[in-house]
Amino acid sequence: MSAAAAPAPVPQPPPAFEDRERVRRELEQTWDQPPGLVPWLTSVDHKSIAKRYIVTAFVFFVLAGLEAATMRAQLARPENNVLGPDAYNQFFTMHGVTMMFLFAVPIMEAMGLYFVPLMIGARNVAFPRLNAYGYWVYLCGGIFLYLMFFLNTGPDVGWFGYVPLSGPEFSPGKRADVYAQAITFTEIAALVGSVELIVTIFKNRAPGMTLNRMPLFVWAMLVQAFMVLFAMPWVATATQFLAMDRLIATHFFNPAEGGDALLWQHLFWFFGHPEVYIIFVPALGFVSSIVATFTRRPVFGYPVMVLSMIATGFLGFGLWVHHMFTTGLPQLGQSFFTGASMMIAIPSGIQIFCWIATIWAGRPRFTVPFLFVLGFVVLFIIGGFTGVMIASVPFDQQVHDSYFIVAHFHYVLIGGAVFPLFGAFYYWFPKVTGRMLSERLGRWNFWLFFIGMNLTFFPMHQLGFEGMPRRVYTYLPETGWGDLNLLATLGAVTIATSMLLFVINVVKSLRAGLPAGDDPWGGETLEWATTSPPRHYNFEYPPVVESRSPMWESGPEMPVVTGLRTDVRDTLVTTLLDAEPDSKHRHPNPSIWPLLAAVATTVLFVTLIFTPWGAVIGTPLLLLTLLGWGWPRGREKWEQQLVESEA
Amino acid sequence: MRAPRAVADVRALPRTVFGHRALMWWGTMGFIVIEGTTLFICAMAYFYLRRNNFTTWPPEHIYRPALVIPTIQALLMLVSIIPMRWVDRHSSRMDIRGVRSGLLICSGLILIMCVLRIFEFQALKVRWDTSAYGSVAWAVVFTHTTLLVLEAAETLAITALMFSPTVEERDLSGVSDNALYWYFLTGVWIPLYIAVYLSPYFM
Repeated sequence: MSAAAAPAPVPQPPPAFEDRERVRRELEQTWDQPPGLVPWLTSVDHKSIAKRYIVTAFVFFVLAGLEAATMRAQLARPENNVLGPDAYNQFFTMHGVTMMFLFAVPIMEAMGLYFVPLMIGARNVAFPRLNAYGYWVYLCGGIFLYLMFFLNTGPDVGWFGYVPLSGPEFSPGKRADVYAQAITFTEIAALVGSVELIVTIFKNRAPGMTLNRMPLFVWAMLVQAFMVLFAMPWVATATQFLAMDRLIATHFFNPAEGGDALLWQHLFWFFGHPEVYIIFVPALGFVSSIVATFTRRPVFGYPVMVLSMIATGFLGFGLWVHHMFTTGLPQLGQSFFTGASMMIAIPSGIQIFCWIATIWAGRPRFTVPFLFVLGFVVLFIIGGFTGVMIASVPFDQQVHDSYFIVAHFHYVLIGGAVFPLFGAFYYWFPKVTGRMLSERLGRWNFWLFFIGMNLTFFPMHQLGFEGMPRRVYTYLPETGWGDLNLLATLGAVTIATSMLLFVINVVKSLRAGLPAGDDPWGGETLEWATTSPPRHYNFEYPPVVESRSPMWESGPEMPVVTGLRTDVRDTLVTTLLDAEPDSKHRHPNPSIWPLLAAVATTVLFVTLIFTPWGAVIGTPLLLLTLLGWGWPRGREKWEQQLVESEA
Repeated sequence: MRAPRAVADVRALPRTVFGHRALMWWGTMGFIVIEGTTLFICAMAYFYLRRNNFTTWPPEHIYRPALVIPTIQALLMLVSIIPMRWVDRHSSRMDIRGVRSGLLICSGLILIMCVLRIFEFQALKVRWDTSAYGSVAWAVVFTHTTLLVLEAAETLAITALMFSPTVEERDLSGVSDNALYWYFLTGVWIPLYIAVYLSPYFM
């Protein structure tokens, strides 16, 4: 390994600056994505892909919200008939599957895919074509799921698809197959995104951005990406087992032939519990970014914050059995998982205290992003408290599968993830679009969302205590649940109104919002060092980082490195720990192959729902597209050019 | 935007690097983790079902797996690490001739592995739909087979690329990353072989 062992050449300071105007012009030409359909379909720009991810995920968020609103309309009064039982089953399953797999995970990763390269001073993600493939697979999966739903073949077995209900005996037809395969699509996209983020963070950081200078948001995305890497294969395997039980009569979950229904629950929840943190940990990063900027001081306790996120990542894998407390576990197992479930409150609590300390010592500006952070603190603490309550086995056995659980996880997920996400929308919208969102509409958006959220979900705690089970499509007047359900439905209407205001705000601001400038908030991290919106190449010169708060401590001039070529897509690769410049890497040009590979993947997955021969049709097709993707074209001339120029 | 202040020049940095210095090495590691986790889950399911739901393993009226072909395959996989290591070393020395000849040998070996895999399915002596034992044993072997087929396709494509006139220096780094995946694919099969083919004899 002589070449591998060779030490990296020591970078030398340049004698003089190059012609900036020429550099900018060449970078524009090299990294440009011209308008039009073909450039759009072949784009490998991380910002372009991430924006699509965010918009697509938001569309799915709206669809899932409409499903929720329809369910609330059905439950507004006893014996209502907006939805029948069959449609209701599909609605609550679609709501859960969409929110978890098509909204929450993709949008969190998409925020990372947009902002991580900017925050670490990179020009793109590590594998731009793979990034595009991930998006196309995700989009195909989402369209497939909703097409089937509109054809009355939407999944109807709940978002965790328990067997034997979802098995061949109790779910004839194709609805459960659609569930299994739609999840596979989204898992592939999530896994691709996680590899993308990990390698980008490890190897594309700006020189000087050692691990202990990484922004907390980047740490959050790193922890999340590792969690995805180890969690998603569990559900992908589980759903493939389920699909095989249904298609080719395997017996993984069939007790009559030695299979095991609880095996499904173990496989699912070993993914399903970390999933909550996969959604929640990036939100911690949003909160840290927003708190630092709007208190104008670095977040208190950086090492503790990082260690807490890592601890959350590890502990998140040790709790899955608390979803299975009513399945008759040994007492020792119950005690262990009760302890583990309570323990995870510790790192979350530490982070809350660190943010409070930061706010306490700073001079907070109560802008809309900051309001969403305050809302998060309140709601997440409520969700956290009920979480500690249901970590206790006797309590959990009383409220299991009741509306108390529905209340708990909506407080955790909406309070813990969606509120910070909306804060992040308001915070970074100026960077992405170059325009500010309206503060006035934003405040209305926040308060209606906050009030609506509490009106909808707080009464559900009581409904759970009164014995209302989740996933019932109606109830009798004699139960006495009507008033609280009506209140919850009014809350849902309030949330819907707040969402409408958000959409109006976005549309209005895109057309006529105030120009943002490069750094409207006085932010701490590198994304504010470039233009709004950023150019396709992100930075003219890769920045050099000398502290944890480069925008606050670098002075009037930004330290940068020179020497990357501007006429090819050159990027800088740095070392893992200390981010020292190590090599140059040429990024690939736009390509149609990721889209074609995603289409081949879709052919494979969709045909497999109907026949095992789908593998025979789809696999060669996929291999062919992967070959086309990887095979070099027209490179001889290019490389010659490189050699000549560098000589 | 703040005015830039140049503090270093990276013109002299290399374009071709190997091992953990290369982006693709980390990408390959990522996929090794994902696929390794998937194989681990299949093996866990195998032992979970064995422990919870069966008194004998294989269940009654099902033969134990045959051992000859699977053992030959396991040995072949272990031995194949030697020529791939040879390819790996020559790639980092930029020795294209050595890489070409080594890859020809490895391509032949992986094609033999694919053919042997067909017989390994037969060696299980149980169908996937006979019982949960058959299902999970097939799952382990089938999951590994998907990776084997992908690696075969990649190795053949890389071999073809090495013989094409447009081969570049940096492609040799890709050869080295392919070798990393090869070590994983062949190495991980050994515990899986022990689990699926040998463990029914002593569990």
